[in-house]
Amino acid sequence: KPRRNQSHGCVLKQVHLNVTDLGLGYWTKEELIFRYCSGPCIDSETNYDKILNNLTHNKKLDQDKPARTCCRPIAFDDDLSFLDDNLVYHTLKKHSARKCGCV
Amino acid sequence: PAVTKENNCLNAAKACNLNDTCKKYRSAYISPCTSRVSTAEVCNRRKCHKALRQFFDKVPPKHSYSMLFCSCPTAHQSACTERRRQTIVPVCSYEDREKPNCLSLQESCKTNYICRSRLADFFSNCQVEPRSLSGCLKENYGDCLLAYSGLIGTAMTPNYLRLSHLSVSPWCDCSNSGNSKEECDKFLEFFTDNLCLRSAIQAFGNGTDVGVWQPAPPV
Repeated sequence: KPRRNQSHGCVLKQVHLNVTDLGLGYWTKEELIFRYCSGPCIDSETNYDKILNNLTHNKKLDQDKPARTCCRPIAFDDDLSFLDDNLVYHTLKKHSARKCGCV
Repeated sequence: PAVTKENNCLNAAKACNLNDTCKKYRSAYISPCTSRVSTAEVCNRRKCHKALRQFFDKVPPKHSYSMLFCSCPTAHQSACTERRRQTIVPVCSYEDREKPNCLSLQESCKTNYICRSRLADFFSNCQVEPRSLSGCLKENYGDCLLAYSGLIGTAMTPNYLRLSHLSVSPWCDCSNSGNSKEECDKFLEFFTDNLCLRSAIQAFGNGTDVGVWQPAPPV
């Protein structure tokens, strides 16, 4: 289970889009609310992240650049179904965030 | 290029997906109704029917009726009417390899508590009265639409017929009726040629008669 830390910097945002805007290759005129996680995670950095910062800065890890705390979905929204222009139904899973966290 | 017209059925689907409750219960029935379970069967019909009943139970009529009873004013506006026909995912919830006789379908409906009571509701609340302005004996479009939508997800699941304006039917016909041909025709016509139901659907689609859209829950 990923470590989660609450941070007011990392928040859930939403945008009203056409399904075609998602770029997943569907042809339909249906729409959706896409929710995503965005914001800084500096407040929730651990010793682990500080050490990584220092080690990369001091070039102790060769060329490696391990990822730091990151604002990501920790829960996903309900599935989304839509009918395409050829009258075929599609259902998207884990396409939109419900809850965010610094992980 | 044809003149683009408002597609009310598309607009209803858009509005549904922008509403968290409607979106959730819509995908909750589309998933089982479109998931192939074996090479022989396109879906698990029992699960599809159950999820459809839940959709009409849990989603406010404002959204569920807008999709099911959306109006497609131009007769040949097939993008609209086909979308309306697809609302219940007919390939799973409606169509079957064989079309049973309507009276035998009615018999099998009567063996199920939910189907029996909802069919009785439909016959009572959508009863035709040609002398009434509304076309209905009970003069309550909301109750008729509620009773009709209540049939969706039962053995008597109705749907719009292709190439026919606002004519609906369960998946059955009156061939092989023998002596009961007349009784069967009468039963089927209560769906296909019902002035009360047709007026109720039209009134909803036109946004007239808006006062009755808070129907009482079924008894």
